[in-house]
Amino acid sequence: MRRSCITGLGRYVPPKVITNADLTQVMDTTSEWIEQRTGILERRFSEDRVGAADMGALAASEALERAGVRAADLDCIIFATLSPDVDMPASACLLQSRLGIGGMPAFDVRNQCSGFLYGLSIADLFIRTGRFERILLVGAEVHSTGIDISTRGREVAVIFGDAAGAVVLQPAPDGARGILSTHLHAEGRYAEKLWLECPAARERPRLTEDMIAGEEGRIFPKMQGRYVFKHAVTRFTEVVQEALAANGCCAGDLALLIPHQANLRISQMVALGLELPEEKVFNNIQRYGNTTAASIPLALYEALEAGRLREGDLLCLAAFGAGFTWASALIRW
Amino acid sequence: MATSILGLAHALPPAQPLGGVRRPIATEPGGPSDLALAPARTALAQSGIGVEDVDFVIFATMTPDVTFPGAACFFHDKLGCGTIGALDIRGQCAGFLMALMVADGFLTAGVYRRILLAAAEVHSSGLDYSERGIRVAALYGDGAAAAVLGRADGDAGLEAVICHTDGRCHDRFWCEYPSSRQHPIRITVEDFRAGKHFPTMDFEFVERFGLEHLPAVVREVLARAGTTADSVDCFILSHILPEVVDGAAKALAIPQAKLLAAGARDGHLTAAALPVALSEAITTGRLGPGARVCLATCGAGFTWGAAVLTL
Repeated sequence: MRRSCITGLGRYVPPKVITNADLTQVMDTTSEWIEQRTGILERRFSEDRVGAADMGALAASEALERAGVRAADLDCIIFATLSPDVDMPASACLLQSRLGIGGMPAFDVRNQCSGFLYGLSIADLFIRTGRFERILLVGAEVHSTGIDISTRGREVAVIFGDAAGAVVLQPAPDGARGILSTHLHAEGRYAEKLWLECPAARERPRLTEDMIAGEEGRIFPKMQGRYVFKHAVTRFTEVVQEALAANGCCAGDLALLIPHQANLRISQMVALGLELPEEKVFNNIQRYGNTTAASIPLALYEALEAGRLREGDLLCLAAFGAGFTWASALIRW
Repeated sequence: MATSILGLAHALPPAQPLGGVRRPIATEPGGPSDLALAPARTALAQSGIGVEDVDFVIFATMTPDVTFPGAACFFHDKLGCGTIGALDIRGQCAGFLMALMVADGFLTAGVYRRILLAAAEVHSSGLDYSERGIRVAALYGDGAAAAVLGRADGDAGLEAVICHTDGRCHDRFWCEYPSSRQHPIRITVEDFRAGKHFPTMDFEFVERFGLEHLPAVVREVLARAGTTADSVDCFILSHILPEVVDGAAKALAIPQAKLLAAGARDGHLTAAALPVALSEAITTGRLGPGARVCLATCGAGFTWGAAVLTL
């Protein structure tokens, strides 16, 4: 069975930089507290009327250009997001609209922080089984309009930023390179440990004025931070080891690990657990915060630009987040 | 060996009177993950496996239990799925076919042996039943289906599945709010009072789009499967407007005896429409083992697709 590989990457980050000091103007927190707890120094916020698909289209255009693929020649589009442009239809549809194309299947994967890797796994299978030849996978988020930027919401609000990343996947030119494996997991019993409740189809009605404006702030995400942190460290480590074991490799074989940028302290604990030296783990959360489905393609893009990855290197991508969901991909670059 | 349905079941909440029609409405608290639970258990029993034998869960819905995480995670928890993967697909009316296409990839490659695929919608909690919105609201119902998919020998199985999307006309049938592109916040009390969180539809455009693409995708999938309309025992067609199903059947010259108009009685079930109709046809004995079925749908996105499979 043939393999798939990434043939083009793109990214987009909005120009507006929000520093920790900026946040201290609108909520009771300090720059030091944010940096110490998360490693984040600044993040980007999008402009008015710019949604996930708008940013995703800019990242996609760059990825397509680098892959030498015309948008109209794509035969499938997968869009990973938890902050869609509109309630319905999927952001993948709005991305097509932005790119001025139609006809190929386009759908959203709604798997939070693991969304990009769930999407990567699907794209990989589509190529391996011969269904499609040229797939666009986008991860994009506009968190800034969905978080409670006040003292009430500070635990979540200080973490998230807006960004987009995109990759083009095609059959690998030879059998040695490409995506070697993907592993996907979930544990739904922890769904409410990191979630955004409303609108909620399970409520009657789904949305009320009280959900929007009431004291509980039910239209804003909530997180039990310490709980998420503990599970993240365990699951990140496990799923990297699972990827390595499935391919008869060990941590020492890795040239680079790119963890989803959830929290710098989580990445550091995972590196410690896997006995990986600092230079083998790529982090850029310091400048972008947690960008959920966009974080892995954005970090991969910057790792390549920084010369941290060369052809033939063994690369591991790993994610953990809301759901809980977690995943990994092992790639011979 | 082909990807096959090893078990399939559905659930519809009790029908309620609504603007001159009757629709299944989930009045009990709960989301699509709750509606899909009983069908999932039945589908597992039919296929002779336990939940511990399932390798992966896929959930297709456009009305998730909460905003995030997806319905798959809640479904995964309620069934007791341990730590297997749980994928949420958002593809509106083609959601089930897109999920089927994804499942086929995982099963064909041998990554997973058994996939539990749920498709469910609780539309009623998000619709405007006032005079302002009743024309759209009365078209929808709530419902759920679940299928156990695996590879099987013999003549049964999936022969072809095709999906399409064209987002260039997405605003002809959409629900705009909450909207992540609206600064500083996705929805305000003013937006809410203006009813911007309810779906709107350009009836004429949706009808025209459906009449063009629903017959076309049926012809395309038959050609892909290398078969003809004559060798199909039943066409299950789904569209939010019943007149589009009638028009497509006429264009394809499908005899009445071979046509199953999904949603004719219960209203539109979006991602759940096709599997609910298929499950009901099997339950009532209209379709049995060996029957060759063509499923097709067209809806918001716009998305459309079709599949040919033998039971």
